[in-house]
Amino acid sequence: MKICAVLRVVPDLVEEIEIEETEIVPFAYIANERDEHAVEEALILKEKAGGSVDVLGVVDEDTASDVDEPLAMAYAKGADNLIKAILSRKTFRRYEVAKGLAEFLKDKGYDVIFTGIQAIDAFAGTLGGMLARCMNLPYIGGVVEVDVQNGTLVVKKELGGGLLGEYRVSTPAILGVVSAERPLKFVPFAKLKKAMKEANIDEVDIEVPEIEGIDVLRYYEPPKPEITLLEGDPEELAEKLVEVLKEVSVL
Amino acid sequence: MDVGEMLETYFERLSEVSESERYKQCLQCGTCGGSCPYGIASPFTPRRMILALRAKLIDEILESGAQWLCTACYTCSYRCPSQIPLTDAIIPALRELSLLEGNPPEELAAALMNTARYGNPFRESPRKRDSWTKEVEFEVPLMSKKKEADVLFIPECFGAYHRRCREITKAFAEVMYLLGVDFAILGNEERCIGDLTRLCGEFGLFEDLMEKNIKTFEKYSFNRIVTHDAHAFNALKREYPKMGFEKEVLHHTQFLFENLDKLKDMFNELDYTVTYHDSCYVGRRNGIFEEPREVIKAIPGLRFVEMKRIRENALCCGGGGGGVWLDSFIRNFLKERPAEDRVREAASVGADVLVTACILDVPMFEDALKVTGLEGQLVVKDISELVLEAIR
Ligand code: SF4
Ligand code: SF4
Repeated sequence: MKICAVLRVVPDLVEEIEIEETEIVPFAYIANERDEHAVEEALILKEKAGGSVDVLGVVDEDTASDVDEPLAMAYAKGADNLIKAILSRKTFRRYEVAKGLAEFLKDKGYDVIFTGIQAIDAFAGTLGGMLARCMNLPYIGGVVEVDVQNGTLVVKKELGGGLLGEYRVSTPAILGVVSAERPLKFVPFAKLKKAMKEANIDEVDIEVPEIEGIDVLRYYEPPKPEITLLEGDPEELAEKLVEVLKEVSVL
Repeated sequence: MDVGEMLETYFERLSEVSESERYKQCLQCGTCGGSCPYGIASPFTPRRMILALRAKLIDEILESGAQWLCTACYTCSYRCPSQIPLTDAIIPALRELSLLEGNPPEELAAALMNTARYGNPFRESPRKRDSWTKEVEFEVPLMSKKKEADVLFIPECFGAYHRRCREITKAFAEVMYLLGVDFAILGNEERCIGDLTRLCGEFGLFEDLMEKNIKTFEKYSFNRIVTHDAHAFNALKREYPKMGFEKEVLHHTQFLFENLDKLKDMFNELDYTVTYHDSCYVGRRNGIFEEPREVIKAIPGLRFVEMKRIRENALCCGGGGGGVWLDSFIRNFLKERPAEDRVREAASVGADVLVTACILDVPMFEDALKVTGLEGQLVVKDISELVLEAIR
């Protein structure tokens, strides 16, 4: 089975982030957590069904080196090929990115393409579905487990409320992963450093087409929530709380 | 890895951190397992680990998870008649194999990955490491500004970030300030000293941390390091010299003792009963027993009582050797945490205050107070908090 996993980087929220009118300037980038799960599930599928895993790091020119460590991490865990897709684009429209990536992926012969189902940067979460649309492939999101039975994929998907749905889907297909079926594999420091030295990363430039769509006009910081401390004995407190809840129309 | 590869990797590591042949001198006496706080629950006590290693059953140890049932309290190593380095080598080298297999307990894995990325296990920004200094009313000098000082004070990760432990850091810094000590901190240049990474078998990360820290130390001029973190003290004193770092390192109990004459003139009377917990890496591992007791006994009005298990025989709080991140794992094997047993012991001898000297003790024991219902009856204080209270 020829497997691909998409790995994006997102701003590291542990560090400071500056929000300017038309730009978000993070201090550092980190692998998108759901994509790390997508890579993990891709490697699990390889263990189950055999084949190879290519990891496709998706970055912009200015974040190109930020994906090196996450790619090396995937290599240390058993990924076969590492590709760095450097986007050249003018806008942040995800549909355009999906189109650009689809153009690159379409003749690569992948049986399954994994993406994380979401990203902290809300624009990126829809990539899996859009990619499927552009490539005319089936898409299943909310994936928590993947098996192969008689050449078809059997996929467990979260339906909410604790329910799981089981789907059969023929390959090629695109799967959006919520979480891999086992915890992310730990990679010791020395092994990661070794992988960073040894791993061979192929670079490709992805021409992102410009298509009319929604533009970002301005970024805002979310308003700081107002905190009011209620004081008094329990009875008074309960009364005040009821008042407040009525005010905000919860009661 | 197959068993052959595991054994090869294991003994290679063993020979790097200790004499790899020593384990062959095991008498199978069972002193280690009988002394271990987890011995009763562990499928492989140190004695059985060695037996399994001899029989090439290393995979069975790893599958059982016994390598994680250890909080590096050093009791087994201290008592072993053959002086086998159980805590520093036999167990961490087994843990390293788990790390290489990629499946250590999850909380611990997260702590190690955070330490590699951010220089602290809490997933906090390295740029906020000195934020505690903004919560005190005196200036805490930074090495980057001051360039030289008599004392380099290392708050270490818990002391810099952990909500409760920061109080201890602030208290000790204030004691130094009131004593007029010429001290400074590295602030945001400091990163994890790494003793827990070593004891957890993350040797590569430990080496990296040592290299980076030593490089930072070398930028400045100071005479000695003082820290209230018992594990940082242990690593700086015992491991860093192997990498060429040769400065005097003092635990804060030693430092307080050194300044006792001055402190005595400043002490006010306190009126309650205290007992003292010998932390593993202050007492058993590094032989500091008298200094903290002398400091406590010098405070007028305090009544000092001893618990039953003291000095070399003190019970571990369960936080060391990665124990703080192994809690849910260990709970699968053991109902009562050692810390719960310990606070009951402190209460049973009539103490109002349990005085400690390792930064991990305070959160461990305070949690145990909640579980045992002793909250309100017994209070936990680091020795620096006690001293500050007496001189304020
Ligand atoms: S105490 Fe030492 S000699 Fe005795 S069983 Fe344990 S490791 Fe072997
Ligand atoms: S160091 Fe302590 S906890 Fe670890 S095995 Fe030895 S006695 Fe047990």
